[in-house]
Amino acid sequence: MTNDPWGREFTRRSLIQRSAGLALGASAVGGLAACGVGSQKTSTTATEKVVKAQVDGDLVYFNYSEYVDPGVVKRFEKHYGVKVTQAYYDSMAGMMSKLNAGNVYDVIFPSAEYVDRLRKANRLLKIDHSQLKNAEQALGFSPYFANPWYDPNANHSMPYTMYTTGIGWRSDKVGDKLTGSWHDLWNEKAKGKIFVLDDYQEAVGMGNLVNGFDLNTTDSAQLDKTKQLLVDQKPLLRGYSTDTITNMSNGSAWIHHIWNGDIVNVRNQVKNPEDYKFETAKEGTPIGSDTFVIPTNAAHPGTALLFIDWMLDPANAAKNIEYIGYPMPNKGGYSAFEALVKEEPSINVTVEQLQAANQFQFRDLDQTGLQRWNDTWTAVKAA
Amino acid sequence: MTTSRFWARFLLPGGLWLLLLFAVPIGLTVAVSFGTTDTLGLPIYGWHPENYSRVFDPLFAPVLWRSVGYAAAATALCLLLGYPVAYTIARFGGRWKNVLIIAVVLPFFVNYLVRTYAWVTILSDDGLLNHTLKSIGIGEIRFLNTPTAVIGGLTYGYLAFMILPVFAALDRMNPALVEAGKDLYGTPARTFWHVTWPSTFQGVLAGCVLVFLPAVGDFVSAQLLGGPNTYMVGNLISQQFYEAQNWPFGSALTVVMMAFLMVWMLFYLRSAARAAREAEPA
Repeated sequence: MTNDPWGREFTRRSLIQRSAGLALGASAVGGLAACGVGSQKTSTTATEKVVKAQVDGDLVYFNYSEYVDPGVVKRFEKHYGVKVTQAYYDSMAGMMSKLNAGNVYDVIFPSAEYVDRLRKANRLLKIDHSQLKNAEQALGFSPYFANPWYDPNANHSMPYTMYTTGIGWRSDKVGDKLTGSWHDLWNEKAKGKIFVLDDYQEAVGMGNLVNGFDLNTTDSAQLDKTKQLLVDQKPLLRGYSTDTITNMSNGSAWIHHIWNGDIVNVRNQVKNPEDYKFETAKEGTPIGSDTFVIPTNAAHPGTALLFIDWMLDPANAAKNIEYIGYPMPNKGGYSAFEALVKEEPSINVTVEQLQAANQFQFRDLDQTGLQRWNDTWTAVKAA
Repeated sequence: MTTSRFWARFLLPGGLWLLLLFAVPIGLTVAVSFGTTDTLGLPIYGWHPENYSRVFDPLFAPVLWRSVGYAAAATALCLLLGYPVAYTIARFGGRWKNVLIIAVVLPFFVNYLVRTYAWVTILSDDGLLNHTLKSIGIGEIRFLNTPTAVIGGLTYGYLAFMILPVFAALDRMNPALVEAGKDLYGTPARTFWHVTWPSTFQGVLAGCVLVFLPAVGDFVSAQLLGGPNTYMVGNLISQQFYEAQNWPFGSALTVVMMAFLMVWMLFYLRSAARAAREAEPA
């Protein structure tokens, strides 16, 4: 953030000259590299540390906003007599950058491919299933979650939700039926009222699927084509945003690249919920799952375990499902989602899809691939 | 000699403050700008000047010019809106002067991000403004996610930085000068142009610098009020840090941006120093 410091320094004219001199001097000092960023070292032994589920302090929680029923958290605070400090991210990349900046959290909610990345980098604490009364609720829901591809034997994570990415639209503005293709995000009728998710994975992934490439392609020629596709789409767009619920409920968006549960949340907030529809695209849809994990540097891993157990409790899971609209692999809580699906079949995501459509799950890309994706997205936004 | 050393000690807290919270972060930024990243996106220090050659990729030129253009437009608007406000408060504020100045500053007690977010609710298609327009028979107008909204957001965000220095200059000005202008048969317009404007010019210049420099690097306005084609340098930089996990490239962009802004600042400092010299009695 360059704005604030600049604004203030300038009011002290004489100081600014001196401070500029200091800055130049300081930058020459190579020893700086030793302090601040980049100094978080973790060892494999830290990830194997056994933690007991017992209160060891207040909980620092790091999640998307609106991604848990506030009542569930409040009752947790009351039950254990702890305070939950909530911090938010708006994308997985944002979550990573806060972690990289050295912030300390007790529990975070990464999606599968980020669990994979964090786990491989030894940044996740081992979760001893015997410490969780409700582990079976999630792990017994399906063999998929007992031994997921992103975390063998679910040793470092517990599943939270399943999600899919699709298209939300206003039937009162663009009609009851769209074509069931990603090309609906190019619908001329909604020109200037279309949003694409401001998320490098979802945006580039969507472009890859439209082009008929593998969702996770890192081929630079293919990514160039995807870039061009997304640049050409810009004249039709209102913007790039992950603020899906606001955009849809305040009328800015008629068509929105959106996650399945968010449409339920939108419907809970508007006067005419029947006009808000959701579809998944025939070219393929990213499907994934979010989890609970405890970072190795967590200050209160015991409370974090209690919190995860609390969230896996079937009654609490049902509350969360009703609030956020996403299916959860939870034996006792799942019926709450079945009730939602009865109302709106399009939001459904099943374990069978997670297993069958493996090619449509975001994977942890290698570093070159990840850089290419990010450069592609930067180029789209800068164009 | 000893007294000056005594007073010099008072520089220590401020000096430390600058060293720790200004010089060290800038030094780190410069150091990171020559680095690369590991698999998690953490910076690794090294010697990779190619981060800088990427800054000058023609891809980013429109982003830079757009930022300068938006900031210049916001600065001009701030001057047009802010000068009359400062003038009115300074000349006609009377005993309400302080209250009025507090009223100008008061919105700054609320975070810039929150204030900008308030504009989203006002400007959205079903928002307050469009609702009013529709109720008086004017159709819906698209305000949100346009360049106009971004420039408006910048203007709103930094307006006080224009009003305050201009007010200070006007307030310091000797009212007898204006009377003298009138005594010499100057029309109000001529008096303003030949008397008031020149004697407040340094205040205007300070205001322009205070608005323009942070506005060029702003990303909040474009992020919340902008559309797909309002991407500014601030957004590009914040994306490198927050999303792309490419702190080295983000740092290189920051360093180049600071160098660019430094040119403007030096220009202003020289002008201010010259004006201060001229103002001193011979």
